[in-house]
Amino acid sequence: MRTRIALLAAGLLSGTCVPGALAVDLVVYHSWSAAPEVAALNVLRAGLEEKGHTWTDIAIPHNTGSNVNLMSLVTGGQPPNVFMESNPGVYRDLAGMGFGATLTDWYEENGILEHLPASVAASIRVDDEIVKVPTALHIDGMLYYNMEVAEAAGVDPAAWTSLEEMFADFDAIREAGYDPLAVGSQPFQVGYLMHALTAAIAGPDVYTRIYGAEVDPAALDDPGFRQTLETLRLFANEAGPEAQNRPWNETTNEVITGNALMQIHGDWMKGEWLAAGKTPGTDFGCIEIPGAQAVVVTVDAWGMLGGVPDDVMQAELDFASVVLDPEIQGAFSAEKGSTPVRLDAPEGSLDACSQNVLQILSDEARQVQNPHNTADADWQNSIWDVVFNFWSEPNMTVDEAIEQMKSNYDTILG
Amino acid sequence: MSDLTIAQKAVGGEIAVRSAPYFPRRRKRITGRSIAILVFLTICALFFAIPLYVVVVTSFKSMAQIREGAMFALPGPWTIEAWDYAWNRACSGINCNGLKVGFWNSVAILIPSLILSISLSMVTGYALALWNVRWAGTFLFLLFICAFVPFQIIMFPLISMTSTLKVYGSVWGVAIVHAVLAMPVLVLIFRNYYKDIPQEIMSAAIMDSGSFWRIFVEIILPMSGNILIVILILQITSIWNDYLIGVTFGGFNGQPMTVNLANLITISTGTVAYNQNMAAALLTAIPPLVIYFLVGKLFVQGITAGAIKG
Repeated sequence: MRTRIALLAAGLLSGTCVPGALAVDLVVYHSWSAAPEVAALNVLRAGLEEKGHTWTDIAIPHNTGSNVNLMSLVTGGQPPNVFMESNPGVYRDLAGMGFGATLTDWYEENGILEHLPASVAASIRVDDEIVKVPTALHIDGMLYYNMEVAEAAGVDPAAWTSLEEMFADFDAIREAGYDPLAVGSQPFQVGYLMHALTAAIAGPDVYTRIYGAEVDPAALDDPGFRQTLETLRLFANEAGPEAQNRPWNETTNEVITGNALMQIHGDWMKGEWLAAGKTPGTDFGCIEIPGAQAVVVTVDAWGMLGGVPDDVMQAELDFASVVLDPEIQGAFSAEKGSTPVRLDAPEGSLDACSQNVLQILSDEARQVQNPHNTADADWQNSIWDVVFNFWSEPNMTVDEAIEQMKSNYDTILG
Repeated sequence: MSDLTIAQKAVGGEIAVRSAPYFPRRRKRITGRSIAILVFLTICALFFAIPLYVVVVTSFKSMAQIREGAMFALPGPWTIEAWDYAWNRACSGINCNGLKVGFWNSVAILIPSLILSISLSMVTGYALALWNVRWAGTFLFLLFICAFVPFQIIMFPLISMTSTLKVYGSVWGVAIVHAVLAMPVLVLIFRNYYKDIPQEIMSAAIMDSGSFWRIFVEIILPMSGNILIVILILQITSIWNDYLIGVTFGGFNGQPMTVNLANLITISTGTVAYNQNMAAALLTAIPPLVIYFLVGKLFVQGITAGAIKG
């Protein structure tokens, strides 16, 4: 009898545990349910289970910055162990409630920081401590074009070195019977286009002074920013009545179906192209905005719940090391359609678009963070309002737009 | 013989009709006003029917056809693929077992919530209407005020309270919150309904040495059929369609169908599968509709019964 129990125990141990690690059931809270997202999460789950832990899933969609549902779970005494969240405010709130977990030491011990692009390394910090585990990376403004249309219209977007050259080709594209540029007139799309163009045209310095944590209203008078707004007007001129409130993915379908040559939007566009059965590099091209000084980087990240027993904390760190494993990053990004957050992700796992993105990101000076990560939410919303009014109102001048932003600055941050 | 009776009956029937007082109805003319009303009603009907039409046809289309963009076209080949996907395979997080998981969660939430909220409000309404309760007026007034407090304001205190009661994150937590939040309105409805029961019935019942509970079970409950149907439909609809209470108090495993639906539909990056979204939305909307069709007639009776009495 005793031997039987011993055998059973040995069998269980060898079956479920890696020697030295205690099996912990981690509650993983996130908002992903789309097929590519689920496939990517399953890559992480497989990695976590290999370390001997189990994954309990809780998925609740949310669009608000404050992540109310996460806070309800914490208040109700049933907090998840790891949660997907980028908003720094949530981390500050959790730390205030005694559930903060700082990972700075863990990152340094494992020598991870030197493998992260500069903007990613910046985005995982809140108040000078590292608290996030980056999992997926997107660029807010990439130029995706239909290669078949480019050939038919006799233009080569990859050869454009500036936006002037791009706009100069528009007449030729129209003559060939295609819309040069698909845009969607929605505050979200216009707001994203504006900050992507600001980084591309006005440069990282002006971008950080406007969309960063510390706003410098003098940057609004910068000639580069003025030029950005003038360029935005050229984009708005391409918006016909059919573009009114058109979602980004329907806009992408204009390019996929060959009605339009290209779209400049976040590189999550890739998901639409892949879903339509197209291959990057042969059916569609993905380049940065011609002549861009810098790109805007969006990072999806996990947070860890602090104030837990040591074995649970160890399991949470095991989760973090799974997420940041270069091989797993490669596999994860291939499933999700994102770009790995590590510069040393295996080459073989990257498609043409991701290779391009990682190459841009190897240059520290050419990347800035998504404003959601840094800017005051009210200030950012006010920029979106002004920019969308400017977009929709052909008679509004650049001066008027800048004046409105200044007066908003005085009200909100002044 | 039998033929004859039928013939006689038929003749008799005819006579009966003829002998009835006969008022010639004026021939209806189509006036400008009635045309205007017809047009208005048609527009109203279309206002609701067109979106519904789009939802239904889209749910039977393939994604390839949806990408073509003809929103009002009938499905090329009709396919129930999207329905099958939504019910059996749609992902809510990494669990891809479809909306059926949430459906049974919703049923598990619905039944205790219904029993708890209706029984609590019914007894309270009965006591306030037919018994001499001290401070009854004040209590009613407070309930009336409570009906206007938005749930969001008291959400976090409620989380703390259910957490202290050890019911946070379970079906019972959800049921208790539904019962408490529905109480103001339901108590007012029950109380007003019972107020119209003649005092003589109560006096007789009390004289026959009926206790509070005995009168309730043997006399009041059998008289409550109409109003129960009304409340049942109101509550089934509101509990089934609820998102916020379920998502807040359901914890890890108790999330209702609406949360699965939201997971399926809220996609920040990636393809939007309109056919699956529409099928899922219809699947979620069907249960209250079925209930309404089954007891809708009684619902109208219940409402009008109240109206005539009042």
